[in-house]
Amino acid sequence: MSDPISYPDVTQYAVPFFIAAILAEFIWIAIKGRGGRYETRDALTSLIMGAGSVASGLILGFIAWGFFMLLWRVTPLDMGTSIWAILACFVLDDLRYYWVHRFGHRVRWVWASHVNHHSSQHYNLTTALRQTWTGTFTFMMVVRAPLVLMGFHPALVLFVGGINLVYQFWIHTEAIGKMPRWFEALMNTPSHHRAHHGRNPRYLDCNYAGVFIIWDKIFGTFVPEQENDRVDYGLVHNIGTFNPLRVAFHEWVGIFRDMAQPGLSLKQRLLYAVAPPGYSHDGSRDTSEEIKAKHLARNPQDRGTPGFETPADAS
Amino acid sequence: MPLELLLIMVVGGVSLVALILHLTGRSAQTVLSAEDARVAWHRHFPDDEVRQVMVSEDRHAALVQTSVATGLLWSFGADTVARHLIDFDVMETKDGLRLEFHDFGTPGVSLTLAPPERARWQQLMTSP
Repeated sequence: MSDPISYPDVTQYAVPFFIAAILAEFIWIAIKGRGGRYETRDALTSLIMGAGSVASGLILGFIAWGFFMLLWRVTPLDMGTSIWAILACFVLDDLRYYWVHRFGHRVRWVWASHVNHHSSQHYNLTTALRQTWTGTFTFMMVVRAPLVLMGFHPALVLFVGGINLVYQFWIHTEAIGKMPRWFEALMNTPSHHRAHHGRNPRYLDCNYAGVFIIWDKIFGTFVPEQENDRVDYGLVHNIGTFNPLRVAFHEWVGIFRDMAQPGLSLKQRLLYAVAPPGYSHDGSRDTSEEIKAKHLARNPQDRGTPGFETPADAS
Repeated sequence: MPLELLLIMVVGGVSLVALILHLTGRSAQTVLSAEDARVAWHRHFPDDEVRQVMVSEDRHAALVQTSVATGLLWSFGADTVARHLIDFDVMETKDGLRLEFHDFGTPGVSLTLAPPERARWQQLMTSP
């Protein structure tokens, strides 16, 4: 269809910058005595998860690549490689990221891959690198299919996706408070993403944006970080391991154990895989909606405030 | 980027960060008071009513009597992890007790407990 197109793998080229920035953030926190926390094993786990994610991409990347090249062969469209095509692809891919990320929090099968990114109780630049090893198994590559079918070359689609991930590195910090108002209004920032990493009921299932926060504002999932509700990082039920293998696979194991319980209907087994995290056939667990409702029952004064605008009643 | 160069940067970078953090004291386990444990339990289980807290002598764990069940809170690096003691096995070790939770994400925890403390904790953990 056209000459071979190749772009640099920006996530690999960013590795030296990632390491330098982590050291700079740590030194800044140590000198200032504020702006975040570091813990050796937590950081080491995050960094190993990052390295494993790169390795996983090298080993399994051919699956998504093969899928995209198949689509590229069948599409009659070619948007080319002009700067406008790259910019359009970047913006559309960020919309793609928003939805994949939203599925990642609302569909347990996808959450099983993404959960490790939220499994640290810390929030610093190493947390940004606590990435999945199992993304290929979520099949979320299909959400990128429309971009290829629209005529964006697979190499370009992966290139802008890499830039998207590199952008998100710097927002995993407590060392930066708020950016200028215009920037906070348009872009994903440390403040917006801190809220996303919160396990507080207010911040559950909010701020899925990658680069542009406007998607959350358009689709009704934006919750601004609140000064009176300090973000508590981690999972609703925090895991008790620094072992990268357990971090990477614990939710997958949970899914298969839940699905294998005796006495369940086929529908219940399927729901354990695809329903929102917290689903249980007997109501013994809480979804994010139920956690928010219970919080409002304990704290009715929060009703109507950011993150609790949708009426929710404890039942 | 050549794979060898990427590997050197990753291994070197990860080792450097880990070494600096360890040498600057970032490997210390959090130390708990009874009030810390009570607050931490509510952080993990906001619906629970905490009735009694017993902190271990080394202050890295607390046995928490709650409205739901007896629970265990323990130091996890600079933070804590907590579990209700519902589905678990407990066994004695040289230094105290080992609990297994049958949970892939939280396989277990080893507690350092002096002999008299160990017996008391084991009794409280296993009593209905």
